[in-house]
Amino acid sequence: MSLSELCGMSDFDDKINSEYRGDLNTFCGNFTNNLELGVPPFSNPAKNFASVSKDEFGREIKIQFDHGTTTLGFMYQGGVVLAVDSRATGGQFIGSQTMKKIVEINDFLLGTLAGGAADCVYWDRVLAKQCRMYELRNRERISVAAASKLMSNMVYNYKGMGLSMGMMLAGWDKRGPQLYYIDSEGTRTPGKVFSVGSGSIYAFGVLDSGYKWDLTDEEAYDLGRRSIYHATHRDAYSGGIVRVYHMKNTGWVHIDNTDCMELHYKYQDEKLQKSNEIATK
Amino acid sequence: MASERYSFSLTTFSPSGKLVQIEYALAAVAAGAPSVGIKASNGVVIATENKHKSILYDEHSVHKVEMVTQHIGMIYSGMGPDYRLLVKQARKMAQQYFLVYREPIPTVQLVQRVAAVMQEYTQSGGVRPFGVSLLICGWDNDRPYLFQCDPSGAYFAWKATAMGKNYINGKTFLEKRYSKDLELDDAVHTAILTLKESFEGQMTADNIEVGICDSTGFRRLEPSHVKDYLANIP
Amino acid sequence: MSILGYNGGAMVAMKGDKCVSIAADKRFGIQAQTITCDFKKVFDMGPRLYVGLPGLATDVQTVMEKLRFRKNLYELKENRTMTPEVFGAMLSSMLYEKRFGPFFVEPVIAGLHPTTHEPFICNMDLIGCINQPDDFVVGGTASAQLYGMCEALWEPNLGPEDLFETTAQALINAFDRDAISGWGATVYIIEKDKVTVRDIKTRMD
Repeated sequence: MSLSELCGMSDFDDKINSEYRGDLNTFCGNFTNNLELGVPPFSNPAKNFASVSKDEFGREIKIQFDHGTTTLGFMYQGGVVLAVDSRATGGQFIGSQTMKKIVEINDFLLGTLAGGAADCVYWDRVLAKQCRMYELRNRERISVAAASKLMSNMVYNYKGMGLSMGMMLAGWDKRGPQLYYIDSEGTRTPGKVFSVGSGSIYAFGVLDSGYKWDLTDEEAYDLGRRSIYHATHRDAYSGGIVRVYHMKNTGWVHIDNTDCMELHYKYQDEKLQKSNEIATK
Repeated sequence: MASERYSFSLTTFSPSGKLVQIEYALAAVAAGAPSVGIKASNGVVIATENKHKSILYDEHSVHKVEMVTQHIGMIYSGMGPDYRLLVKQARKMAQQYFLVYREPIPTVQLVQRVAAVMQEYTQSGGVRPFGVSLLICGWDNDRPYLFQCDPSGAYFAWKATAMGKNYINGKTFLEKRYSKDLELDDAVHTAILTLKESFEGQMTADNIEVGICDSTGFRRLEPSHVKDYLANIP
Repeated sequence: MSILGYNGGAMVAMKGDKCVSIAADKRFGIQAQTITCDFKKVFDMGPRLYVGLPGLATDVQTVMEKLRFRKNLYELKENRTMTPEVFGAMLSSMLYEKRFGPFFVEPVIAGLHPTTHEPFICNMDLIGCINQPDDFVVGGTASAQLYGMCEALWEPNLGPEDLFETTAQALINAFDRDAISGWGATVYIIEKDKVTVRDIKTRMD
């Protein structure tokens, strides 16, 4: 008989193991379940979280993360076009000019990010996993409607706790091309034309005036590009390069990446040429 | 007298176009102790009588030659108390200028500002003009400056001048003795001689005061130093 | 966000060999929204004296006009040109006058002495604390980035051409990391007998 047994140590051993497992579950919940995040130790976190987001003087303790963005997506006769900028800012500081704000979830599903970068990236990753699980279980690809619902349900659990995301989900399923808007407030809605982010008002200005169902592919790409460019020009928190994707019935295609500086001087030349033509007429 | 009818208010002109109070102020100056100023090639000297009525008076404790800033000094003919107010104002204005511009006030600027104060006292209610004329000397832009400021607020730039009692004689004397390549030492000598022209009694280091200003700044001469100059005078 | 960063803007001045430079971006925005890309922030206060005023746009113009007023009055009164040193001291005391309700500008001064042509640069905070180093000064919302760039690029005794290149590169690369400045830039090279003003091509996002 070993000493440990004499002292009843075997129980102890189990106890440690189970406690450890408990801690792992409590403090690193998303290691085992991606949907489970650590929350502040309050009885009703969604309601009481507000009290810790303020300091003793009642001032807001703000985490400054990537907020500024311009993304857009629209449906037309050729499918769905997504166009986004690539700037990541923390406050006024430009952290990156080459961020990828379109996530390739699978060959027939694209997501765009706007809002908190980490929130978007994390939940897109979780969504990608869920979609793949669905595919393996059901031997067919998930519909865009279902994927978007998965997403909105996941983030709805944390509503009111400061998640910040506004995303578009574009895909092509049995029912054809699809475009959804989902945000951290719980909104989920299908639609033809969306733009999300701090530069969206500027993008909409160009997009709405140039949008037609019958656009050719090239026209559609150019409209997306122009809209994003104009948003980057006016909005301080958007910029970098414009990335354009096209969702076709064969899956998504990455059309191109264009530097905003290149676009600016190209559009400026075109404008100059046009006004010269008018002057010579 | 007709002028008396217009002397009740200093801001009222007499029919002949005079402000009689100012004329009276100038008369007070002309009756005051004589003072002289001479510009030399390498500096400027100002000097004045500082006579005392009693032998009990403790000389060299209250001065007529005063420093305004490092490089500007002044003397006066006329009423002592009025002078001290102007010295106080001048010092304040010089420091105010330095505070704003971090640069010593140019002599011309100080003179202009002091003159503006004096003018204000000829046009305000409830005050009287100053009973003093000032001699302000300074050194800037690598050259000497000598100005006279009158109770009216008028100011003049001189090569050499005299004010106070017997100033006409003093000026005539200076006109004869002045030359533009005078050295500072000679200028001090000439200044003392000019004072001596109208000096009553024995001139000593205790009854005149001399101030000089050159590239090193303004200073009042020590009595022992003045004595050395006096020794060279016949 | 501080009111100093309400409109955005970046500025730098550098000393060279017998010359000085001052450069600024051209953006005028309201927080994230860019309103115009040809906003003037550097002003001539004499043939060889320039002042740059990054900060709140309304105060930029007010301070510039007050400065011009006081400088013109000084030059008329004293019948001489104002030296950069005196100009700096005057601006400093003008700003401190408003210690408890300041103008939201962080001025940068660059110039040559009117007679000796000695290069002069300085900057100050919004209540007039003067900083007068002998290499470079910066101001505006990209000042952290500008310090980094200047520290890396500046070297002593740069001629006018090299000084232009150094100043322009420092400014462009600094404000390309700042969301609320950029959108074009102007570089002034001040020499004894000429001032060269050059607009430079930059990113417009």
